[in-house]
Amino acid sequence: MSASLKSLLFALGLCVVCSLFLTAASSGLRPWQERNALIDRHRNILSAAGLVQEGRSYPAAEIERLYRERIRPLRVDPAGKVLEEPDSAQSAAGLPIYLTVEEDDVRGYIIPIESRGVWGPIQGYLALDRDGKTVKGFAVYQHSETPGLGGEIEKKWFRENWVGKKIATREGKFVSVGIAKGRTEAEVPEEKWPHYVDGISGATLTGKYLAAGIKDTLGRYEPVSVMFRKNQLAALGLPSTAASP
Amino acid sequence: MNGVVAKPWAAVKRTASYKEIVKALWKANPISKQILGICSALAVTVQLQTAVVMGLALTLVVACSNLTVSLLRASIPRNIRIIVQVAVIATLVIIADELLKAFLFEVSKQLSVFVGLIITNCIVLGRTEAYAMNNPPGRAFLDGLANGLGYSSVLIGVAFLRELFGSGRLFGYPVIPEAFYAAGYVNNGLLVLAPGAFIMIGLFVWLEHSLLGKD
Repeated sequence: MSASLKSLLFALGLCVVCSLFLTAASSGLRPWQERNALIDRHRNILSAAGLVQEGRSYPAAEIERLYRERIRPLRVDPAGKVLEEPDSAQSAAGLPIYLTVEEDDVRGYIIPIESRGVWGPIQGYLALDRDGKTVKGFAVYQHSETPGLGGEIEKKWFRENWVGKKIATREGKFVSVGIAKGRTEAEVPEEKWPHYVDGISGATLTGKYLAAGIKDTLGRYEPVSVMFRKNQLAALGLPSTAASP
Repeated sequence: MNGVVAKPWAAVKRTASYKEIVKALWKANPISKQILGICSALAVTVQLQTAVVMGLALTLVVACSNLTVSLLRASIPRNIRIIVQVAVIATLVIIADELLKAFLFEVSKQLSVFVGLIITNCIVLGRTEAYAMNNPPGRAFLDGLANGLGYSSVLIGVAFLRELFGSGRLFGYPVIPEAFYAAGYVNNGLLVLAPGAFIMIGLFVWLEHSLLGKD
C-alpha cells in the first residue's frame, strides 16, 4: 500500500471517529442545553421588565418561579385580539407578547424584538408600561455585533438609556424610539428627546438597523399598544390563569 | 527499596516525570516563560470564575489530546501528523464547549469564543507535536496535565489580582469592605480592561524571570 493511500485512509478513519464523538456529545447534551437556552430567554424577559437585578446571578429555579408568577405569555392576531388556544395552528402564526403581572393586575407588556444587525440578526425584548407608551426596559439576548462598538447594545448603560422613553406622542400618535448618532441632547431637537436614546459612537450602522427593526416590530404590535393606551384591557380578553410557556 | 524509603522525596526528584512537571509548571511555564496562550489569558482573566473554568477546560484538552496523540503516535502517517493532531484537539475542544454549554451556561456565555479558540492555542498543539509524538501515553498525559496547570496557575494569579483590585470582588463576592469605599478607596478601572491584563502578565513574566535568574 502506497504511503499516500495510507494517509488518506487514516484521515478518513479519523474523520469518522471524530464525527461520531461530536454527534454523541451534541445530541447527548441537547436536553440540558435547550433547558439552559429557555431559562436564559426567561431571564432576559424578566430583565427587560426590570424584575431581576443587573449583575446578580439567579439560580434557575428562582428565574422559573419569577417567570411563572410575573409573566404571562400570550399570542395575539395582527388586530390585537388574544388567540385563545395557545397551541393551535392559527395561534402559531400570531404575534407573541408577554404580560407582566402583579397579583393578576397587568402592569405592562413585553414585545420580542427582531432586527437586522451589521453582522447578523439582533434579538431582544422591549418592555412597555401599561400606558402603552412608556418604555420600561430593553434587553438583547442574541447578537453578533462587534464587541466594544455595536456590541455595546447589550451593555447596562445602553439598556438603561431606554427606560422612560415614549414610543408615541402625547396625543397618542405612534413614532417609535430612534437611536441618535451620539448624545440625544446634542443631536436631536428638544421636543423629540422622549423619542430618542443616546447612540453608540462608532456603531452608527448598528443603531440605524436596530432603530429600524424596533420601529418595524412596534408598528406590527401597534394595535396592542393602542388597546393599552385606551385602557381597553378587557378587550384583550386577558386569561385569568397563567398559561404555561 | 534501598535508599528510596529513607529519602523518598529525593528519589522522586530524580525521576524524569518530576523534572518534566517542574519544567511545565515553573521553569518553562507556557505563559510566563514561553509567552504562549496570551490571547485567551488577556480575555478571560477579568474574573476568577472564568479563569478557573478556562484553565480547567484547557488542562483537560491538553491532557486528553496528549494522551490520544501519544496512543496513536506509531500509526499516524508523518506527512499528515499536524492535521491529525489538530483534528483530535478540535474534537476535544468542541466536546468541552458542549459540556460547558450544558452544565455551566452562564460561564460559557462569558467565555464565548475563547473556549473554541483553545483549538488554536499554541500550548496544545505545541505539546502534542513536541512531546506526545515522541513519548508513551502515561508520560504524555502527565505532561499535558502539568502544562495545563502551569497555564491555569498564571491565569488564576492574574485573575485574582484583576478581580480583587479591578472590581473589589473574588469569585463575584465583594471582599473589600464598604468602609474602605466610604474612606475614599476606588477600584482600579484599568485592571478591568485589556491593558490591565497586559501589565499584570508582564509583572508575572518579570517575577518569574527574576526568581529563575537567581538559581
